[in-house]
Amino acid sequence: MKTLKNLGYVLALPVLLVLLWWVSTRGEPNFFVPTPAALVDVFGPTWFEGRITADVLPSVARLLAGLAIAIILGIAVGLLVGLNRTLRALTEPVFEFFRALPPPVLVPVLILLVGLNDAMKVAVIVVGCIWPVLLNTIEGVRSIDPVQNETTRSYGISGMNRIRYQVLPSAAPTIMAGIRQSLSIGLILMVISEMFGSSSGLGFTILQFQRSFAIPEMWSGILVLGLIGLALSLIFQWCERRVLRWYHGLKEVENAA
Amino acid sequence: MSAEVLKPGRAAQPRTARTGARRSVPKPVLGLLGVLGFLLVWEAVPAVGLVEARFLPPASEVIIALVRDFGLTAFWLAVGHTLMAWAIGLAVAVVSAGVLGLVIGMSPFLRRFTNSTIEFLRPVPSVALIPLAVLLFGVKIESSLMLIIYACFWQVLIQVLYGVADVDNVATQTAQSYGFSRFQRVRDVVFPTVLPYLMTGLRLGASVALILAITAELIIGSPGLGREIADAQSGGAISGMYALVLATGLLGVAINIVMRQAEQRLLAWHPSVRGEAVL
Amino acid sequence: MQPDAISANTTPAPEGAVPSGRTLPEGEALLSVRGLKKVYSTDGGPIEAVRNLTFDLGHGELACLVGPSGSGKTTLLKIIAGLLGATEGEVLLDGKKVTGPPKKMAVVFQEYGRSLFPWLRVADNVELPLKNAGVPKEERRERVAAALEAVGLAHVPKSYPWQLSGGMQQRVAIARAVAYQPEVLLMDEPFAAVDAQTRADLEDLTRRLWKDLGMTILFVTHDIDESVYLGERVIILSSSPTVVQEDIVIDLPVDRTQLETREMPRFTELRHHVYEQIQLAKKGHRPDAAH
Repeated sequence: MKTLKNLGYVLALPVLLVLLWWVSTRGEPNFFVPTPAALVDVFGPTWFEGRITADVLPSVARLLAGLAIAIILGIAVGLLVGLNRTLRALTEPVFEFFRALPPPVLVPVLILLVGLNDAMKVAVIVVGCIWPVLLNTIEGVRSIDPVQNETTRSYGISGMNRIRYQVLPSAAPTIMAGIRQSLSIGLILMVISEMFGSSSGLGFTILQFQRSFAIPEMWSGILVLGLIGLALSLIFQWCERRVLRWYHGLKEVENAA
Repeated sequence: MSAEVLKPGRAAQPRTARTGARRSVPKPVLGLLGVLGFLLVWEAVPAVGLVEARFLPPASEVIIALVRDFGLTAFWLAVGHTLMAWAIGLAVAVVSAGVLGLVIGMSPFLRRFTNSTIEFLRPVPSVALIPLAVLLFGVKIESSLMLIIYACFWQVLIQVLYGVADVDNVATQTAQSYGFSRFQRVRDVVFPTVLPYLMTGLRLGASVALILAITAELIIGSPGLGREIADAQSGGAISGMYALVLATGLLGVAINIVMRQAEQRLLAWHPSVRGEAVL
Repeated sequence: MQPDAISANTTPAPEGAVPSGRTLPEGEALLSVRGLKKVYSTDGGPIEAVRNLTFDLGHGELACLVGPSGSGKTTLLKIIAGLLGATEGEVLLDGKKVTGPPKKMAVVFQEYGRSLFPWLRVADNVELPLKNAGVPKEERRERVAAALEAVGLAHVPKSYPWQLSGGMQQRVAIARAVAYQPEVLLMDEPFAAVDAQTRADLEDLTRRLWKDLGMTILFVTHDIDESVYLGERVIILSSSPTVVQEDIVIDLPVDRTQLETREMPRFTELRHHVYEQIQLAKKGHRPDAAH
């Protein structure tokens, strides 16, 4: 009974919105908005007859590669800088500039530096996504509790052991917040690096549909992008809950007190 | 549920006394040295031929081009266009998400009713709407606005929902027992609690809005700095392009500083200047 | 009250020398503190926290350091632990100069909530220093289990520290130190943040661990009752800049109980004496030649 009620809450509004969409497109055809039926009809043939392997999967692969490199590099450099006060002061203004630089402007710059190829598209994602991870890692390392640091020191825990057992877990909540920002930036960059002078990929395909006025297909592309965004967000939430189980428990206890 | 935050809250616990601040060089000087070092490396990279100067002009050339830009009306017009799209888009998103957030947040029914839809629509990247924006508005500013509003709306809405959820039950009950009207309750109990969250949403939205304003200009061609960058690139004015990229970054830094200042100024009176949720 | 009945440990200071705590002949001391001085440089100029401290700790001793608040107790402890450098003087452990945190020393901090790692379960927290020291897995498991057993926490190895009460968290921190098997255990006001009943339990636990495991413990506290109840010896510190005000022997029976020991006339006498000395210290009185 309870689960049925919950299911009702989950589905009610989406069903209502689809109904509204269906009713409002039922009369004369609207040029900009296809009927739900037309979108469903066009979705399969548009994406599952070749485009999924030719455009979608390569796009997603580039996104994941870029994100992985950005996260690893961001954490590594963030640890290095965060653990050294002089290095931190030295790099702060430069890093603040790159954090504030809107990542899409990197696309024309990297087209110049790397060329119009896959490496450029991955590089755009790396260079755009690294800053939130890097800066959050620095902040996470900087704000480690001093008593915690004295504890590791007094037990002689240093070097890689200290990073592995103290610094990384302690900074993990802040690092994860940075990664979450990187995900949405990465998705934006994946799309626009393909829209800006490219001849394949998801971004290019959707723009191509729009240019040839294939409206239902264009909408189906928006839907695909939405689904990728949703999937990415769900995967992240799942990972985050596993990695930071202790943190959420701790917060709950603190909030209850 | 978790909040997206650019800078996590400062550690709340008191720090042990720093022993002997024996740094010989003060922090701002080090920062300046860092900037100088960065510019020097940039200057050297094309000079020693690591990258050809026609792809990466030396820093000095780009800075000269930027200074020249500062004297041009066209440059300031582009900055004005970008800032206008940024400000209008941000304002519309903040007002609509603020009002909707209060309405949804204060009703447990609406909160449950809309939850799945919000969680589904929020991760949809706003750049997915680019083709639709082009179709509907072409290169007009409305294209930029559509992307900006969509992206910022969720940022602000989520923060406001957190804020309303954070309202103290005791305070609400106290207000009820003193016969506060619904309007008074919103004004005197809910709004002060939500304000810091709203400011966080505004600050996050501000940088997202700039990203999408530039994106729309770059990809769709609505007027502004982004289009100038695309034009400079396709016209082969490489140092001009780098100068504009630099200008865009400086604009981003300026927006960040203004937003952080505004947040601190506005919330200085606030009794519960909260440490931002890190996650 | 006869102050003479208190056996002062203090080495009689030669004319003009700074008074010191009890010192032992060379080679007998486990821990030696010699002429320790600490000056902090701050924006408002240098601040002398510790002026001149000298005392020895023998094998198997349980000594309490007590002093008025702000007397540099924590500073002193951190210097002994090798966490903080001294301006002058030195600390010797087994005759070797302490320059960083020594291997055979463990510290129990006052802030148990911040000293335990919230991402590790109780047993993992206790195990971590052993893992770092390269103790083989099987031995690690045994030592962790024994330490948790010793502090009465054998039933919660899989819990997270933040799921436990404050007193239990401090027990975890003590278990971590015990499992490490240090030669000297330093405790920095470890029970200042727990409630009175828990505190009494933890005091008895500390005495029991000292007796059963034969550890050497240096226990810092601002609580006069606690210092007399716990210690076999109490080192009273002056107010800052700190010197040793007095070093006395606590000649209470080895087996102590919260009720009976605290009701003994001798306990009251000793407490009275320490209390007076602390009051004197607060008023700025300093032992001769330490001005």
